Parts: sequence; structure tokens; C-alpha cells
Amino acid sequence: MRLDNVAKRYGFTLPWVVRDVSLEIPAGGLVRFEGKNGSGKSTLLRVIAGVSEPSRGRVTGRPVTGYVPERFPPALPFRGRDYLSHIGRVHGLTGAALASAIDACLDRLGGRELSSVPLRHMSKGMSQKVAVAQALLPGAGLLVLDEAWTGLDAPAKAALDEAVAERLADGGSVVFVDHEPGRLAQLDAERWRLDDAHASRVTGDAGPDGDKSGAEVGDAGEQADVLRGGGQRAEPEDAQ
Amino acid sequence: MIALCRYQLSLLFRSHRWIAPAVLFALGVFGLGGAVLPRGAALGQGLAWSALILVPVEAWLTRSMLTAEPAAARACVAAAGGPRRTQVAALIAPTVVGAAFGLVGIVWQLFRLGVPRSVGANVIRVGKLFSDLGGGLAAGLICLLVGSAVAVLLNPPVIRRPATAVLGTTGAVVLALAWNGSPANAAVRSIGYAGQERTWPAGVAMVAALGLVVAAWAISTQVAARRDG
Repeated sequence: MRLDNVAKRYGFTLPWVVRDVSLEIPAGGLVRFEGKNGSGKSTLLRVIAGVSEPSRGRVTGRPVTGYVPERFPPALPFRGRDYLSHIGRVHGLTGAALASAIDACLDRLGGRELSSVPLRHMSKGMSQKVAVAQALLPGAGLLVLDEAWTGLDAPAKAALDEAVAERLADGGSVVFVDHEPGRLAQLDAERWRLDDAHASRVTGDAGPDGDKSGAEVGDAGEQADVLRGGGQRAEPEDAQ
Repeated sequence: MIALCRYQLSLLFRSHRWIAPAVLFALGVFGLGGAVLPRGAALGQGLAWSALILVPVEAWLTRSMLTAEPAAARACVAAAGGPRRTQVAALIAPTVVGAAFGLVGIVWQLFRLGVPRSVGANVIRVGKLFSDLGGGLAAGLICLLVGSAVAVLLNPPVIRRPATAVLGTTGAVVLALAWNGSPANAAVRSIGYAGQERTWPAGVAMVAALGLVVAAWAISTQVAARRDG
């Protein structure tokens, strides 16, 4: 899938949250967005996930999409399994396929017992498992993770890492934001930095920066192959 | 689309947010209606009353639905089903519930006021019965659509501030009922007081209500997809 000159603002009189973002997310591609709090990462992820339409520009070729929001609300009147069933049916899953997809996702995250727990009664970690499970349900396509690891216990974090690697190996794509610099470091992510509403590609050994080392990040950004104003990626990629 | 509607309906029911509008409908039709309409009232008047109550009930159901879903939950569903389709499902769900209430109202009035009979001979006037029922269904549908349109235009995501939304919706519902240029008002008067008052023909009221609801739903869907978050 690709984004062409995508820009987003939440009202005609409001400032642009992101502008002129052009990038291609190939099949099997892993993309990481970095930037400080409020730099527009979540907004861009929402546009990529198709939750929100861009104010300008186009998003084309988006496959089936699972999205984990920054904060998953436990204030829904469903039990874990009922909620996952609803989302699964929206993805077109039914009957035995739906049941086995839900079981597989919950087992993977170590949360089969969440089936019968009302979302309202779940702890932060439990509801985060449900949030991740609902995004993994389609089993293929695009996965958009907005700090999806936050609140998960260590085994579930590892399980999510594994799910991402599997998705990439199966020809799906994954886009993520996370404040842990080492997140998915073992996988070769294409890194983009959001600054002042613009996105720029981070190349070379800029080092994992997260949000903690502002000065270093700035230097890395200077050295980076900065693509602003609708720049295209240099190397050819297979479009999805 | 069916899965999305099912999710939204389920959200409306499980959150118990349908109960307050249902109580309003019951009070209006079974309670207040009994006081307003004497036992010997014409069926048309009973159906007009039931239709009238649907305007505030449908507006309340729609507001309940539009405020039931936390933004992040909407985002998860929208990623799966598309933001526009998800919003349309959230507008269809309360309309389906309101339509069910409307049918309950029609059945109740039939039981309570009886079918029209010719005086003396006690023969059911089938033609009159069908024209009353047709008029009642049309008026109910018009009131349902007007109630939906009013609430959709004055509630999230179009109007987000709760105070503005609640006051605006209440005012608009009163206007929809009382102003004689409103399709709901015209529909109710045309079946309740047929021939006694000059109103728009039912067909014109129906077209106006449909136009209103299509415009309101389109605006809400556009805003949901563009100005979310």
C-alpha cells in the first residue's frame, strides 16, 4: 500500500498534525515511526490504519487491517469473547473459523481465560491483550500497532514480537510506534521520524532513539536521508 | 455491514442505553396517550399520537447510540470495517430499534381503539382500516426519520459538547413537533385530523423527511471519517 502526499488536520481552522507524507509500505515491510509526544505519530497511524481519512492526499492499496489503539477502553459492555466475535465478524469471519481464530489469538497471548471476563472488569494488561487479540484476528494483511506492547506482561510482549515476525514472513506488513528503543530491533524496520508535522526517513546507524535522547535524535535526524514535501523512497519496492 | 449493525445494536442493548427512551415511549403511548385520547377516539388519532411520540424517542435512542462507543473502540471497528460504514451502522441501529417501538405503538392502538366499524351494522370497514394503517405507518416512518435526522445533526461527532448537544436536540425535537412546517408535524396532523387542517400532503412530508435524514446521515458520516480523534 502507499500514501501519497497525505496530510491530516482535525478541522479547517486547526493546524496540520501531519503534512506531505508519502511512503510505500510493501508486502512483508516493517515500518517504525518515531518522534516526541504529540508529534503526530498516532494520527498518522490512524490514517494508515484507515480509521481516519486524510484531509489531503491519498492512501491506496490498503489490505485487511488490524489496529491496536494507543489506549484501549475497557468501558465496553461485552465479555472478552463477545467483543472479539463482533470484530471477527466485521472482518468476515464466521462459525468455526471465527471460534478458532479467537482461540488462537487468545492462546498466543496467554489469555484464554479472558473469554468470559467482562471488559469493564479487566485490568490494563488484560484489556490490552484483548486489544492486541482483536487486531490479530484477520491473520493476514496490515497490522498497525500504536504502543501495543504497553501494559502487556513479558510473555505476551514476546508473543506479540513473534506475531509481528510471522506476519512479515507471511507477506503481511506491520507499522508501529513504541517508546522502547529496542522494540523489534531484531527485525529490519524502515524508520521514519515525525517532526514539525513532517515525516523524514531515518537511514543508517542513527541508533535507536525513542524519546529519551532528544539531542542525539536531532543529530541523527540531520544525518538522515531527509525526505520532505512528498519525497519518494529511493530504492524500488514491490507494491502490495 | 450486517456484522457492523449487529455490533452497534449489541452495544446499544448491552449498555442499557435503550431503556430510558423505551420508558419515555411507554409513558407517552400507554400512559399519556390514554389520558389524551378517550376510548372512543378514532384509530387515526391514536396512530398519530404514537407517531408523534417517536420523534423524541428516536432522537434519544440516536443520541444514546452516538455516545455509547469510546473513541478507541470505534477506531478498532473502523479499521476492520471502514469509518464510514461503521458510522452508518451506528445510525441504522437506533433507527431499527425506533421502528420496532413504532410497530409496538401501532399494535397497541389497534388493540385499544379497535378497528373502524360502520355505525349500527357493526361491520369492519376494511378500506378505512387499511387507509388508517397506511397513514399511521407513513406518519410513524416520517417521525422516525425526523427524530433521527435531528439527533444526528446535533450530537457527536457533529456537535461534541454535551450541553450544546442536549439542549440543541431538545429544542429541535420541540420544533419538529410544534412547528407546522415540519414534516413530522404535517404527517401527524394529516392522519390525526384528516380533512380538518391544511397541511402538506403525506407524500411531500415523506420526501422532506427522507431528504433531511439522507443529508444528516451524510454529514455525520463525513465528519466521523474526517474529523475523528
